Amino acid sequence: MSSWKEKPFRFTLIFGLVILGLVILPFFTELYYQTFLTELFVWILFAISFDLIFGYTGLLSFGQALFFGIGGYTVTILTRKYGLGTEPGLLLCILIPMLFAWFVGYFSVKLTGIHFVIITIIFAIIANIIGDTWTSLTGGKDGLTFSPRPFRLGFFQVNLMDIKGNYYFVLAVVAVCYLILRRIVQSPLGKIFISIRENEERARLIGYNVQRYKLIAFIIAGGLSGLAGGLYSITLKYVGAGYLHWSVSGHAVVYTIVGGMGTLIGPVVGTGIILSLEHYLVNFLQATDLVVGIVLVVMVLLAPKGIVGLIQSRWKKGKSSA
Amino acid sequence: MTSNIAIAMMNGIVWGLIMALIALGLNLIFGLLHVINMAHGALYMLGAVVAWYLIEFTGSFWIALIIAPLFVGLIGVAIERGLIRTIEDKPIITIICTFGIMLVIQELVLMIFGGAPRRIDSPITQRFPIFELQYPVMRIMIAFISVVLMSGLWIFLKKTKYGLWMRAVVQDREMAAGLGIPVTKVYMWTFAVGSALAAFSGVLAAPIVSVEFMMGREVLIMAFIIVIVGGMGNLAGSVVAAVLISLIQGVGSIFVSPSMAMVFSLAILIIVLLVRPQGLFGE
Repeated sequence: MSSWKEKPFRFTLIFGLVILGLVILPFFTELYYQTFLTELFVWILFAISFDLIFGYTGLLSFGQALFFGIGGYTVTILTRKYGLGTEPGLLLCILIPMLFAWFVGYFSVKLTGIHFVIITIIFAIIANIIGDTWTSLTGGKDGLTFSPRPFRLGFFQVNLMDIKGNYYFVLAVVAVCYLILRRIVQSPLGKIFISIRENEERARLIGYNVQRYKLIAFIIAGGLSGLAGGLYSITLKYVGAGYLHWSVSGHAVVYTIVGGMGTLIGPVVGTGIILSLEHYLVNFLQATDLVVGIVLVVMVLLAPKGIVGLIQSRWKKGKSSA
Repeated sequence: MTSNIAIAMMNGIVWGLIMALIALGLNLIFGLLHVINMAHGALYMLGAVVAWYLIEFTGSFWIALIIAPLFVGLIGVAIERGLIRTIEDKPIITIICTFGIMLVIQELVLMIFGGAPRRIDSPITQRFPIFELQYPVMRIMIAFISVVLMSGLWIFLKKTKYGLWMRAVVQDREMAAGLGIPVTKVYMWTFAVGSALAAFSGVLAAPIVSVEFMMGREVLIMAFIIVIVGGMGNLAGSVVAAVLISLIQGVGSIFVSPSMAMVFSLAILIIVLLVRPQGLFGE
């Protein structure tokens, strides 16, 4: 159906060119833009992990902020208080959020539809309150600051205190995660996720344990959201209870809907467009979320498949009329 | 100690009745349209903000109490007719759409009203002695008005033509349409009444809490909790749940910190969702 997936050569070419462009970009731009792009990459990772659970599996989870925040706290607390190195810290900010996702998901996937949405919000609120009040561990309302230590990764010396080093590291991690997620959604496992989204009852009747596959999708998405949170906190050198607020999950919802859900490339496009828009508007508008809200409502009503969906249908129409 | 508990209980009941109003609005919209209105907290906030402006211009809290909900009711009609109508049959999409509407309302208020919290002075400043402490008469008045509004809603649903139509649509949408009930009109009215209830709740809460553009965010969650515990579509259940939950939270906050009381009630909510998703009082 989608013309992107069945053309691996074209995908490799475009993906390679985009990465190449992003690799040479820092030589031509100011540090300011590198910081902006680093944050953009982090939100892309958050959005594509959300796309796996919502776009592919059909579960609207407002709980991704929980895993995002846990990831942020994991790397911060372990490196700051327990002197752990940055790279095991980052590995743990996949694994620990996965454990939490297992716990939250175990209960949540028993519910469907709006009940699922609400239970994920509730779990995030509980985490937010605990993050806010457990001052000895989380720093409470002030949050925690830290300085990640440099480490060796193969041939490279990674210094995350350096803006350029931070930029390349985050770019590399997000690119790898994108490829992993792409592999997952094209695999038989991904096809099961899609079948659950399309018709849960039918997937069950075919013989799939629907709840188990939902849980698997939830755990993978939770781990990657956690990694996004970890990368965000090493980029800002800060973590706070605000990371855990359920409305943070709303960012992922907006990026995914605007770009096009269930496409993986959609959330990337959506994140790029929304963040650039905010970045530009902030110069003369205090309330940037106003435009974000309007864009979200308009897209939901007029183009629920997002920008990528619009382009794909235009493409198809062009082909059939030619 | 006893006086503290007595005051906490009275506050719990007053706050519970205010929350019952917003929860009723949310539940009414859900029961009829099957729409989870994420913008409901923003409508509550909008009610309080509009009331603040009306009080600035007219100087009367009572005028604001009548006009602000009418205004927000009209906004509700605009939202339903203009935006929600085409996607009403897709529950997940409506959640996202109303989330967007929530952002728009919040940010518009931030632009016009500003980010700083403001106060609405209570129109009745008298207090009366109770258990060696002073209790504001206004809070009793707020509770009384809430009860009057709820009785009004009950009469509206049980005794008027529109109320009968609404109940018919809840029971069986297709059949109701088949019998000639203008279902789309009923939807519009439901959204208007639901939005107005949120605004009433906001105006009545305004003398107790401060008015600011984010005030609806936590209240929205509270309204969700109430609707789920009371049972989705079960209006009487919502009222009971609202008073019960804020009583427990109010009295509980004397013994543990308010945030722990909140975590505790959220944990109970998760259990309710898992064990009795139809609510505590549903069949």
